[in-house]
Amino acid sequence: MQNLRRTSQGIFLLLFLFLFIQTESKGRDALGYPAKIFLDFDPLIFITTIFSAHAVQKAFYFSLITIAITLIFGRAFCGWVCPLGTLNNIVGAMKKGRPKTEDRNLYRVKYYVLIFLIISSLFSLQLAGIVDPLSLLIRSLSVSVYPLFSYGIRAVFDAIYSADIKGVTALSESVYSILKKSVLSFQQPFYNQSLFIGALFFLILGLNLVEKRFWCKYLCPLGALLGILSRFSIFKRSVSEGCTSCGACANVCQGNASPDKKEEWRDTECYYCWNCDDVCPQNAVSFGFSGKKAAASMDLGRRRVITSMASGVIAVPLLRATPLSKSEFINQRLIRPPGSLEEKEFLKRCVKCGECMKVCITNGLQPTLLEAGLEGIWSPLLIPKIGYCEFRCTLCGQVCPTGAIKKLNLEEKAKVKIGLAMIDKGRCLPYAHARPCIVCEEVCPTPKKAIWFEKAKVKDRNGKEFIVQQPRVDLELCIGCGICEAKCPVVDKPAIYVTSIGESRSKENRLLMEGY
Amino acid sequence: MHCMNRRKFVKSAAITIAGLSVPNFIDSLVSDLGASERIDLAVARGASPAKITRAAVDAMGGMKKFVSRGDIVVVKPNMAWDRTPEQAGNTNPEVVAEVVKMCFEAGAKKVKVFDRTVNDPRRCYVQSGISDAVKALGADISYVDERKFKEMNVKGEAMKTWPLYTELFEADKVINIPIAKHHSLATLTMSMKNWMGVMGGSRRQIHQRLDESLVDLSGFIKPTLTILDAVRILTANGPQGGNLADVKKLDTVIAGVDQVAVDSLGATLFGMKGSDLGYVKMADKRGLGTMDIAKLKIKKVNI
Repeated sequence: MQNLRRTSQGIFLLLFLFLFIQTESKGRDALGYPAKIFLDFDPLIFITTIFSAHAVQKAFYFSLITIAITLIFGRAFCGWVCPLGTLNNIVGAMKKGRPKTEDRNLYRVKYYVLIFLIISSLFSLQLAGIVDPLSLLIRSLSVSVYPLFSYGIRAVFDAIYSADIKGVTALSESVYSILKKSVLSFQQPFYNQSLFIGALFFLILGLNLVEKRFWCKYLCPLGALLGILSRFSIFKRSVSEGCTSCGACANVCQGNASPDKKEEWRDTECYYCWNCDDVCPQNAVSFGFSGKKAAASMDLGRRRVITSMASGVIAVPLLRATPLSKSEFINQRLIRPPGSLEEKEFLKRCVKCGECMKVCITNGLQPTLLEAGLEGIWSPLLIPKIGYCEFRCTLCGQVCPTGAIKKLNLEEKAKVKIGLAMIDKGRCLPYAHARPCIVCEEVCPTPKKAIWFEKAKVKDRNGKEFIVQQPRVDLELCIGCGICEAKCPVVDKPAIYVTSIGESRSKENRLLMEGY
Repeated sequence: MHCMNRRKFVKSAAITIAGLSVPNFIDSLVSDLGASERIDLAVARGASPAKITRAAVDAMGGMKKFVSRGDIVVVKPNMAWDRTPEQAGNTNPEVVAEVVKMCFEAGAKKVKVFDRTVNDPRRCYVQSGISDAVKALGADISYVDERKFKEMNVKGEAMKTWPLYTELFEADKVINIPIAKHHSLATLTMSMKNWMGVMGGSRRQIHQRLDESLVDLSGFIKPTLTILDAVRILTANGPQGGNLADVKKLDTVIAGVDQVAVDSLGATLFGMKGSDLGYVKMADKRGLGTMDIAKLKIKKVNI
């Protein structure tokens, strides 16, 4: 059974990584792969989004399948499918020695986390994505691990290329081109906070050296949710008379399921990894369908449950009592991806999975730190200086699992304003320095250009008159894509820049009198 | 031009030669002395982009005259923008494909196609239709590799040195296939401005001295052949367009060896003259080519 399980884990991990790598533009309008499908199957994201936003994405109905499977087979998802669980398994394999046999009550922590998340989502606060294992994994890979991997590989091949070693370079270049076509990203990605988000991820992996599958046993809220569901599952473990209480099963249990305690076996903690069945010298362990509940009762402690519920309630005003909640207090730098919902609705849905950042064709979508408040940490914002919003690209809306970013077609995309460009006349070459430059207008993508010129007569220091074209922004036409800022020759502090004002999604953050 | 007699032609050709310093041009002239007629520019018109491209090259003496067996050829279209063929922001994919096909027919060993794009390269290559069109013919279409730009001594008036794409200079032959478009600073962008696509570094800075820079660059890169795509031209909101109302269908292709002459004749498609374009005037003055189309032998083909 162990081999079968490992094969299943391997297949799902590879599928997950394959889809992750495919979450990248190939130049066509559609991605061609269901990049977000793992999230679609995630019931924690499903339930908290229904609670927080009172809305549901159609694709989310896939997560009902996960729920159904859990109601039949228990927490098999954790043992057979979850890619983060598999990674924990792999790292945990490096820890030698037997697991601690004392009964740790720490396993309850994940239920408190879950209760906190569910309660706060009932009060419209969506924080599940921060600790949901799939969201966490995609975000960590996107923002930190994959850029790190890509950087390392590129550095090695670039070094061989520039050293130009006869024979070696030709070979390394052909290997490099294969890697570029398969596992490497099209361009080296760079993200703010990649160190921070990566450190948290490596901490989670590292905890396996304290105790195998530490995250899954003690912290994972999705595991907790599936654990509760598995109380009702009909696929149970039973131990026959032949058991000699040798304790061999306790040493191989991946969860914290007390398999050696027979009737006190904790079904909520079992991943159905089958290790206890495989290892039992008496062959006394078996799994099968049975109606009877032969398991330990779940005692979380009333006080602790009430405390976590109260924390979930208190977190709402605690996180929202910031100036950002005032409608007139607007963060000019909070440029959201095109198709994003109005900020409050956006935050109710965004699970900070980082899919949009991974897929962003220019690398412009970056994780926020505090720009959207602590509630919005790691949600996406566009930093045009890093990468602008490509006019005919709609990928971020295609991969968003919760509809925080709407899926737009090309006609809709062309009309969505994410901000407006403003010119800094003190730095713009034709204004401040009487030098010709038209780059912002040249790259402006709207069919009728949002940047136009006023011809101005200027003099050089010798008094010689000549004409320069000075750019102006047409506020009706500008969509705030930021390509002007990204390509402005005044590279350190661009002479044209985008701020969030004028964004279509907001009623408050507007500039023009007329609606649009 | 049609009624030009032989004597007049020889006279005008002599004037043209006097103003030329492009070795390629002289080479082709010398090798052509035996031929009955020397053509400076060919203009082909017709409904099929592929057919008129072939007709224009044939009128110039056929691709075999420019590409030899075993050559590595760089074909440089303009595919700088995330635009579709109808929007006329990039060179027409059928024109590019036909040129690639003719290069292979002439015995080219390898045909390379690339451009340093302005929008995302993946989208530009695919949305322009060029990637699919030339891949099917066996051309090597590749994204620009930043490591392959090398600082080169352009020795121009505005541009002393600049990082340029080495693959262009390593090729045996270079064929430039621009599209004719409006541009707010250059007025029009055609063949000479298409060389911006092989510039590395911060090329946005050359707009401060655009005309000089384009002439410097065009003098440094000497294409074997230039084929100007005017199947559709972009008359406003260039160089990327996006509004179909700005696109004019002309079903025309112009071929020539002299890039200044090609651009000068190209200007007439927009109701302008070569002398309306600063870089054409400057290039003519520097002896890079001929601006005065009255001095050129132009062959017109209609299919």
